[in-house]
Amino acid sequence: MGDAEPGNLVGYPAPLRRGSISCRSVNAGYLGTTVLHDVSFRIDEPGIYVVLGRNGAGKTTLFRTLAGILSPTQGEVFIGGEPLDHQTSRDHVHFLSHMDGIPDGLPVREALEFYAAVEGASSADVDRVMDLLGIGKLGGSYLSQLSAGQKKRVSIARIFFQEREIYLLDEPTANLDPQLAREIRTLVLALSREKIVLYSSHNLFEAREIGRFVLVINEGRLVRFDRIENLRGARYAVGIRVLEPTDALSDFSHEGDYFVKTLAGPEEVPPLIRELEARGIKIREVREMDNPLEDLFA
Amino acid sequence: MRNPSVSTGPPSLLWTTFRRSLTIGRTYIVVGIVYVLVLSVALSLSPGSSFDSAFPIFLPIFGVLGSMGSLMVFSNDRTKGVFEYLIAYGFSPRGLFINVLLASLLIETVTLALLVGIGLAIFVASGHAISLPLLTALSVYSVPMSYASSAFASLMGMIWTSLAKPWTGLSSPIGLVPFVGIAPSLLTLALVAFLAIQGFANVDLVVGAVVLGVLTLVVALLSELDRLLPRERLLSPV
Repeated sequence: MGDAEPGNLVGYPAPLRRGSISCRSVNAGYLGTTVLHDVSFRIDEPGIYVVLGRNGAGKTTLFRTLAGILSPTQGEVFIGGEPLDHQTSRDHVHFLSHMDGIPDGLPVREALEFYAAVEGASSADVDRVMDLLGIGKLGGSYLSQLSAGQKKRVSIARIFFQEREIYLLDEPTANLDPQLAREIRTLVLALSREKIVLYSSHNLFEAREIGRFVLVINEGRLVRFDRIENLRGARYAVGIRVLEPTDALSDFSHEGDYFVKTLAGPEEVPPLIRELEARGIKIREVREMDNPLEDLFA
Repeated sequence: MRNPSVSTGPPSLLWTTFRRSLTIGRTYIVVGIVYVLVLSVALSLSPGSSFDSAFPIFLPIFGVLGSMGSLMVFSNDRTKGVFEYLIAYGFSPRGLFINVLLASLLIETVTLALLVGIGLAIFVASGHAISLPLLTALSVYSVPMSYASSAFASLMGMIWTSLAKPWTGLSSPIGLVPFVGIAPSLLTLALVAFLAIQGFANVDLVVGAVVLGVLTLVVALLSELDRLLPRERLLSPV
């Protein structure tokens, strides 16, 4: 993206870098139903670009289109300035589906050998990736014997066999426990130092934690492409439940059992908690009272 | 992490699909073997030349069960996102269909070898000799009909599975396709019985016509595959 404003792509004023991805006026969908409408953007600097949107907004369709799985019914996708085809996709793009994508009927080791064969990687790569993801002891286990977290580890392992310039990760942390989600984000963050990572999520807080830019999809349209720090909900309110009744929260409003305070953003939550604890207030629960994503789509 | 290798085309999935199909569909093969065991014992012990005439007619019905494993692989790969992964890495949807079809024919080969071997072994062990008409019926009817039925069941199953929601269970396409697969063989059986009652002598001609008809259907389905199964049909639900 460099100094250019994100999303400014009209006319492609500069040649795209080898590791770039862009699309111009793309419509795409399924069996005659258009899901993506006139989507255009250009990305040519490494980093994590979080694709945010509610369920059904078109995130998966966008990723499938960028990966060459779906063909645009209008417009074009470019990888490194070249129109996307199966070979450019295979050479430059890693795609991680929102599904596990693990073949049944094979133990983990053989499933990874299967991925490795598809991607032109070796047995040594399988060993390395199993160590990296901490699944070395699962080699003989079948899919049906794995927990959700273990399945995700196996699933995500395949993007580490070979380097590519572009990584499309469709909700890689969905339905995972916080510990594993954090581990995966750490791996992706390391990856993003040199690679372009498009990372879909419906979690704005996750986006703020790892993202550099955000692409907001609503009803199949790219409604915003901006630096992550510019993303603010109209209202960010946290509710606090306390163990014992107190008069010390007179500056908070009430919603049910919660004392509610409006803040500038989630970064103000930890200092608030520290302040309340310093005042001797025993906190039972802290929760976000609104989903700031709603504001983005208003 | 290694650098990307120089581009090569996607590798063949046939051997992996074959092994996965054997693993997932082994129960069907075992069921087919048990049926053939029972049938062979019953026919071998019955008087006259009933084995010679009945065994070749029944064989494709049990043989087609063996190829159900590859259809289960197809259904699982579709609903679990394996196909979209493979398409993203350069596999064509048509190639994926053909891969499953070939895997089902490979399994059919293994299943047929097992069933014919077991059936003939029981027949011979019962003190009978293998006759030329039996070998002719096996090679002219049983083997071609088994392959044709297997291909028909696989293609119909893939098309049906792709058009349906990803159901599971007995009312799903996977649960019902075995009945589709054995339909040609049952039709042949019914025809042969009907013609025998009517005193029609040239049964071979009718049986040959049925096999040819099923093969024609298979070729027609194959030629329409791209239209019947666009790539969107291979993707898991969003």
